[in-house]
Formats: sequence, C-alpha cells, structure tokens
Amino acid sequence: MSLFTPRRVGHMSPGGSAITYLLLIVWAAFVIFPIYWLVITSFKSVNDVNSGPVFLPFIDFQPSLHAWRDLLIEDWADTSRSYINSIIIALASTALSVLIGSMAAYALARVTYAPRLSTVLAFVLCMAAVLVATMAYGVDWRLAGAVAVALFVLMVRGLGNRIAGRLGNGDILFWMISQRILAPVVVVVPIYMMFQSVGLLDTHIAIILTYAVINLPIVVWLMYDFFASIPRDLEESAQLDGATMFTVFREVVLPLSKPGLAATTLLVMILAWNEYLLALFLSTADAQTMPILVAAMNAGERGILWWTMSAVIVVMILPVLALAVVLQRFISKGILVGAVKG
Amino acid sequence: MATAKRIEIREMDKHYGAFHAVKSLSLTVEPGEFLVLLGPSGCGKSTALRMIAGLEEITGGQVLLGDRDVTHVLPKYRDIAMVFQSYALYPHKTVAENIGFPLKIAGKTKAEQDAAVADAAAQVQLGELLGRYPRELSGGQRQRVALARAIIRRPAAFLMDEPLSNLDAKLRGFMRAELKRMQKDLGVTTIYVTHDQIEAMTLAHRVAIMRDGVLQQLGTPKEVYRDPANMFVAGFMGSPPMNFVAGNATGAGVKVGDRALSLEGVRVREGTHVSVGFRPEDAELAAPDDTADLVAEVFIAEMTGDETLVTLTAPDGGHIIVRAPPDIEIEDGARVGLRIDPAKRYYFETDSGKRLRADD
Ligand SMILES: Nc1ncnc2c1ncn2[C@@H]1O[C@H](COP(=O)(O)OP(=O)(O)OP(=O)(O)O)[C@@H](O)[C@H]1O
Ligand SMILES: [Mg+2]
Repeated sequence: MSLFTPRRVGHMSPGGSAITYLLLIVWAAFVIFPIYWLVITSFKSVNDVNSGPVFLPFIDFQPSLHAWRDLLIEDWADTSRSYINSIIIALASTALSVLIGSMAAYALARVTYAPRLSTVLAFVLCMAAVLVATMAYGVDWRLAGAVAVALFVLMVRGLGNRIAGRLGNGDILFWMISQRILAPVVVVVPIYMMFQSVGLLDTHIAIILTYAVINLPIVVWLMYDFFASIPRDLEESAQLDGATMFTVFREVVLPLSKPGLAATTLLVMILAWNEYLLALFLSTADAQTMPILVAAMNAGERGILWWTMSAVIVVMILPVLALAVVLQRFISKGILVGAVKG
Repeated sequence: MATAKRIEIREMDKHYGAFHAVKSLSLTVEPGEFLVLLGPSGCGKSTALRMIAGLEEITGGQVLLGDRDVTHVLPKYRDIAMVFQSYALYPHKTVAENIGFPLKIAGKTKAEQDAAVADAAAQVQLGELLGRYPRELSGGQRQRVALARAIIRRPAAFLMDEPLSNLDAKLRGFMRAELKRMQKDLGVTTIYVTHDQIEAMTLAHRVAIMRDGVLQQLGTPKEVYRDPANMFVAGFMGSPPMNFVAGNATGAGVKVGDRALSLEGVRVREGTHVSVGFRPEDAELAAPDDTADLVAEVFIAEMTGDETLVTLTAPDGGHIIVRAPPDIEIEDGARVGLRIDPAKRYYFETDSGKRLRADD
C-alpha cells in the first residue's frame, strides 16, 4: 500500500497521517500566528516593540499592561464610545438589511414577476426627467413629480404595445446584485451630501441606513439561493394542510432557513463591523466606530502606537469571534435531508 | 370531519406559455370513489392533480368540490389532503410532529393531537418511529408518514401523486393493499396518479388514462382492459401489454405478411392500414402450417415460474409476446405458427390509432 493511496482519515498509513497532520499544523500556525502576534504586541512595552522582534512572553520579554491601561483607563471615554457605536450600528444595520433583504429574497424565490420592459424604461426616464428638471432648471419638485406621474401613465399605455419584452426574476435579482458591484467610494460623496442636507451627519441613523443599504444586495443574493433550495412541495403541503402564508413562513420556511440566515447575518455583521471608508465620511466624533479609532492610532504625533493599536484590534475581534461561535451551530449542512425522496 | 365529496372537473385546461399541458380534461369522481389517473411520464397527470389541489393556476375550465366551485379558491380552503410525489415531509419536525401538523394548524389541543397521531401512526404501522426525523427513515417509512399526515384529518378528498413509486416491489405490493383497504374504510373520495398500470388495475374503481394532456378513456379497470377505446390504451394496459401486427385491409381481411387475418365483421375501406391487436394470453403457439394465423420466428423464451413468455419476431418486424405453459420446449430462432382467438382480436386504424369495431 503506497503512501499516496487515498484513505479515510483515521485509516491512513502512519507516514500518510504524519504528513497530513504536519501540513495541517503548518496551516493552523499560519492562520493563528497573526492573532497571536496581535495579542502579545498589546502586552509589549514600547522598547520591546521598537528594539526588534520578541516572541515569547515571560521568556523573550516581560509583559506590560501599559497599552491596556491607555486604552481602558486613560482613553476610556473614547474607546467605550466607539465600541458602543460600533455595536449599535452593526446590530441595527444588520437587523435591517437581513430583515428587508430576506423578505425580498423570499418573494423573488417564490413569486414570478414579469414587469414589462416598457414600464421599467418609462419609470427610469420619468425619474431622470424629474431629477434634471429640479436640479438643472430649478423646477419645484412637487410640480415635476406630478408631471412625471402623468407622463409615466401615458408612456406605459403608449409604449406597452410597442416594446414587447418582459423582465423576469433573474433580471431583478441581477439588478439588485449589480448595485453592489459598484465600489461604495463612487457614491460616498453623494451620500455625504445627502445626509449633510438633512442634517444627519455624524449620527447613528445615517451610518445604519447606509450600511443597511450597501449590504442589502448581499443579503438578497445569499438568501435567494437559500430560499430557492427549500423544496416548494413543503410549503405547498403546509398550505393544503390548512396553513396561512404566515404560518407556512413561521412553521416551515423560517426553521429551514436558519443556517442561511445565520451565515448571512454573520457575514453582513462582519462587513458592517469592519467598514471604514463610509464611516470615515459620515462620522466625525459622536458616531465614530472602531475601525476609525484603530486608524486614528497611527495619526498621533508620537508615531504609530503599535501596542495600543493591537489592544484595540484585540478588543475589536472579540465580539466577532463570539458571534461566530454562537452562530456556527446553526450553520450546519444537511438540514433538508429527508424532506423529499431520491 | 367532512363527508366524502364529489369532485367534478369541467374542461380543465393548463397552458405553460405556449405549451398545452392539460387539454380540456373533464371527469367526475363520485363520493367515496377511488379514481386512478394513469398515463406515461410527462402526460400531465401531476399538473392535473395540482390544479385540483389549487397549487397550480387553472388556465381554463372549472373544478367543483361537492357543490362548490373551487376553481379559484386557495388550497387552504379546499379541505383536500395530498400525498406528494416527493412526500414533502418537514425535515425539521419529528414523525409525530409531521403527522400532527394539520391538527396543530387547525388549533387542536395537544392531547387531541397526540391521540390522533397515535391512531394514524398505528394505521400505517409507524408506532415505534414517532420520535425520529424524516432523514432517519427509509423510503417506505417516509411514504407512510406522508400517508398518515394525509389521513389524520378526514378531508373531503385525497390526492395522491405516485406515492408508491419509490418503494421496492414487495413493499409496493403490500402498501398497495394497505392503501386500498384504508381508502375503503375511510370512504374518502380519492384521486390517485400513477404511471404503473398494475397499480391502476388493482386500486381503482375507475381508471382515467391520459396521453399528452388528453383523456383517452375513462372506465373500470375491466372496461379499459377488455374494451380499450384506442390503440394507445390497448398498448398501455396489461403486463405484458397487447400485441399489434400491422397489415393492409383487403376485401377478405387484413393481409399481414403472407397471411390474411379475418376482419370478424369489421368493415374498412380496402387499402387502409390496419393493426390487429391481441393479448398475450389470447394466442397460442402452433405448427407453422397453413392453418396458423401468423408465422413468426422465436426471438427468446423466458420462464417466469408459472408460465413461459415467448417473444416472437412478427412478419412486420415487430415483437409479439405470447403466454405459453411453463414446460414448453422451444428453440430460439425456430419458426412457429400462431393461432389467435378470433373473438378476442381488436382492430385499429394504424395511422390514427382509432379502434375499429364490428358495428361501426
Ligand atoms: N412549470 C412548468 N413549465 C413548463 N412546463 C411544465 C411545467 N410543469 C410541467 N410542465 C410540463 O407539463 C407536462 C406535464 O407535466 P407533469 O408533471 O404533469 O407530468 P406527469 O404526468 O406528472 O409526469 P411524471 O409521471 O413524470 O410525474 C410535462 O411535459 C412537463 O414538461
Ligand atoms: Mg408527476
């Protein structure tokens, strides 16, 4: 039996399993090392950081709590505010985008939409006309809106027979996902100006809404796939058994989509938690989030504060780890096994 | 608890875009009747069933349940239980929860649910498995859970979509008998879809045979077997099904190869392409002499236990299957004669498949 005949884990030849485990250990070390480095750096003194690499606490260097003291005592007000901001914003924006996004995804997975191409075109044209009229020519928006509605109705009737095409669910889904292909930096200035004009800059609401919107396409995309994989028969069977749409959703769809919801929630929350660029524009002090705080660590007159920055990053990844542990038991495969035969 | 209701379908149509899946289907199922919808794969059986259940929108026609027009009523309000082709068990619920689901929805108390679940489970012999999840069951057990979920609430009608198609032959035979007995005891109007003509013959009070969305014949199993309306029905029923030999009508009869088969009073225009049909049990092997109705070559003989099925190559190149005694000695490739019982011959127009009868 050669070393390289594939065998089940636990039944490998000694040489094969030694190599397998060696590779796994190397990989694990590769993955874990940055986190280890982060943690020990947060306990290093300024000298230990500046005078070349030291690796092992108590052996290579004497741990010091100075970075943690800075972070948790001296800068406590700043740290705690950013931390709480991050938590509020991540939770609220995630809840919003998962709620709205999964409803949209469910509808797309279960209802066949066939909007006329002409109607969509007419709508886009009228919207553009309103924008041009109000922005470039200073027309009162109420007037422009009313004219646009009238125009829209006329165009729908007029174009309806000329342009035969219809859009389908796939087109709608692609349109939603395509919104995310655009890098957020493209829209950051308009978003900034929009919130400025309504006086919401540097507030939770502004950041929550922005994050919810930019994460919505991701939620729709992931959850669409998930809902589509639930056999329709299950929902139809429940309907015949007398369940209302809402009961079907609560009794059948929701329990079966837990893994998808958990994975999506985790992903979206991490995205919101780590987001930097939009937060930089939309917050100055009151609504400042953790990534901004981290970035601020290298902007001081004392140079980059590696030790404090490491401590902040450690604090920042803790909740994500906790969340991953909590949600990972939902993210199990095979929940649909046994639903349908064959 | 509802009493059994009549199901009436009037000129029901289904279009999927340009595709016409069910074509003007009309039939009535009497209260308590067991009707089997039979046809080859893709003929529109499931579609028809789903329209009756309300899961598929009806493009044309009407569905009546009892005296009520339910054509556009939501499935939830039709009081119909359905066993899906896929079973459609809830994977996150135990067997007991699956079976009890309709009662839970109906707002029954836990005690009522438990009693009814135990009852239904006992009927399909699932008693010990109540705590399991569907993924921990075999195909046959899943099928029985689906059945129990359907019978737990006495609906106005049962709809079943090939519920036995996933079982092995032995279990299928057993479940078939169970199902028939259960339907009789409950007296619930039932429409049962299958492509297996043996299931149809054994289960049905009446069989409706469909092809390409069109109803071909509706009648008791005996009627569709003994008196098929056309060549398709004749060739679909029976195992093995009816044999056909193609020939041309002459004044004297149907000329097949070098022989002529009498037309037994059927009148057709000379030159018409006519197929003569006969069942495997209505012909016997004989010497290949002048008295034989046909002469053919033995293709293969298969002993099945209580009989031998002899497959012959007919003069027109098609195959003919004849039932012969189990102890028959016969060589592959031998030339044999065939005597076909004149009273049990069927005549069809080859091109249209239309049945030709003596009194037409
Ligand atoms: N959603 C759909 N869109 C287009 N065509 C469909 C759709 N559903 C079914 N069909 C077509 O309608 C026809 C009938 O389908 P149906 O499922 O009723 O067949 P069936 O008789 O139940 O076959 P089987 O025995 O294989 O289950 C098929 O030709 C199928 O391709
Ligand atoms: Mg089917």
